[in-house]
Amino acid sequence: MPNELNVPIRSEADLVTARLRGREMASALQFSSSELTLIATAISEVTRNILSYAGTGDLDLRLVRQGQRMGVSIVARDRGPGIADLFSAMQDGYSTSGGLGLGLPGSKRLMDEFDVASEVGKGTTVTMTKWKM
Amino acid sequence: MADHESLLPESSIPGDEVRRRKEFLEFTDNDVSVLEGVNEVAIRYADSMIDDFYRHLMSFDETRAFFADPELLKHVKGMQKNYFMRLTQGNYDQVYVAERIKIGQIHERVGLPVKSYFGMYCFYLRAVLGRLQEEYKATPEQAFKVFNSLMKLTFFDMGLAIDTYIESRERTIQGQQEAIRELSTPVLLLRPGLLLLPIIGLIDTLRARQLTEQLLRSVRTNRARVVVIDVTGVPSVDTKVANHLVQTVEAARLMGAVSIVSGIAPDIAQTMVRLGIDLRRIRTVGDLQSGIEEAERQLGYMVVKNEAAESEDGK
Amino acid sequence: MNRARAPILKLGETLVVSVQEALMDADLVGLRDELVAEVKMYRATCVIIDVTVLDVLDSFAARTLRHIAQMTQLLGARTVIVGIQPDVAFAMVQLGLTLQGTETALDLEDALSRLNLKLGRDRRAQ
Repeated sequence: MPNELNVPIRSEADLVTARLRGREMASALQFSSSELTLIATAISEVTRNILSYAGTGDLDLRLVRQGQRMGVSIVARDRGPGIADLFSAMQDGYSTSGGLGLGLPGSKRLMDEFDVASEVGKGTTVTMTKWKM
Repeated sequence: MADHESLLPESSIPGDEVRRRKEFLEFTDNDVSVLEGVNEVAIRYADSMIDDFYRHLMSFDETRAFFADPELLKHVKGMQKNYFMRLTQGNYDQVYVAERIKIGQIHERVGLPVKSYFGMYCFYLRAVLGRLQEEYKATPEQAFKVFNSLMKLTFFDMGLAIDTYIESRERTIQGQQEAIRELSTPVLLLRPGLLLLPIIGLIDTLRARQLTEQLLRSVRTNRARVVVIDVTGVPSVDTKVANHLVQTVEAARLMGAVSIVSGIAPDIAQTMVRLGIDLRRIRTVGDLQSGIEEAERQLGYMVVKNEAAESEDGK
Repeated sequence: MNRARAPILKLGETLVVSVQEALMDADLVGLRDELVAEVKMYRATCVIIDVTVLDVLDSFAARTLRHIAQMTQLLGARTVIVGIQPDVAFAMVQLGLTLQGTETALDLEDALSRLNLKLGRDRRAQ
């Protein structure tokens, strides 16, 4: 089981692969079944964004350590149109309408650390981490 | 990740953190040579210092208690001598750090209070100062120099040991909290299809998550249609807790179960309304009894008092 | 759309869809269209979608399920989503996906028994 893995996102089939690999990698750290589902769901959300808005992109999965604790880091990057209004995109509407738009605030809730870097015309990089407590 | 970090056990302080601490203490290579330079002096004074040290410890009830066993005392004296000698042997690297951490762990496990720990270091430093003054009567500046370097190193050691001390304690606390959580969140099957989750005490995010997980699994196992979540025993509710509650209710609904939240005190209800929690999203009743009655009603149960049995008891 | 991934069974006036594996987006959309067609054709009064097998239900899946429910409702049928697993339910509410307005049940058995109950009540009412 490698510590790092790259999953190229070119089509929908890759979304399923990304979730699977994410689960596999995270299970090496003995996350609970519930946490694994949170991770797989977060991966699904950000990967779907790549497909919907940029068409293609990459997902980097990595096991990381910080002092005493270990975790899984997920980086979803694309060279798509970028997010014009990042502030709004991160606002939590928390409506029951089923997660509109980019679903970024929702994904943030699923993970422990969450960061978005985006530039219009250049692309977007979402970095998220979940720590094994 | 450097290789040696993966070899050392759970408790380890990474290389650059060690470097930062030494910098902060202004502990330099110069200090290292100064200390190496007095190694011979240290060897000469080792035994008498150790004896003085333990005589001091044994004269106080609190610390004597730790060394009641003569075998243990002998063993500890030997280790203490090694520690003492190690201070002037140079090479204060990752292995040195690991050893110091281990000492801290042992002291914590044995239950030695921090104040005693500091008291011991204090006695030790003063004892050394006395010896250095004797040794360098002609050149007092040298005594100062050595003491200065030694102080930096001892404080470095204390920092390491106390850190792991605190960390060990925290791990114990976490383990106990875990156990308490397990004990205090039973999901009860009252009737076929009816689950009761009585929540007692304060809820933090982690506990809320565990409660929800337990409840949802129970819904599946017991094929529950109605869940009564009783919060009579929850002293206060803030936005986070209220949201956890709503989320739990919504998650149970996704599994086909209806939830009734009972026991929300009037002031808590007021807080929730003021916090903007949409109480329409959850079904609430004032007390547990009402909650259970409502749940039974929804499941088609009707509780009827057995009049005949009562009159029999009356006889 | 590949029927093998989510076969549609007919039980009287109820259509039961058993999702076999993670559906691609196109499959979900295709399922929606096919269900609508079958509801019309058989004048179904209920559609039960069983998602027991799904280990993740993200915002897209949730949206599509709701669309299916809304469309069948327009055709006079109700939709019941069944089989959402505990972990999946938890992840969904964290994301804010509550499927508000769409009926849910624990599993197929549960959904069918509720339907029978309702049918029983309706018949008695007549």
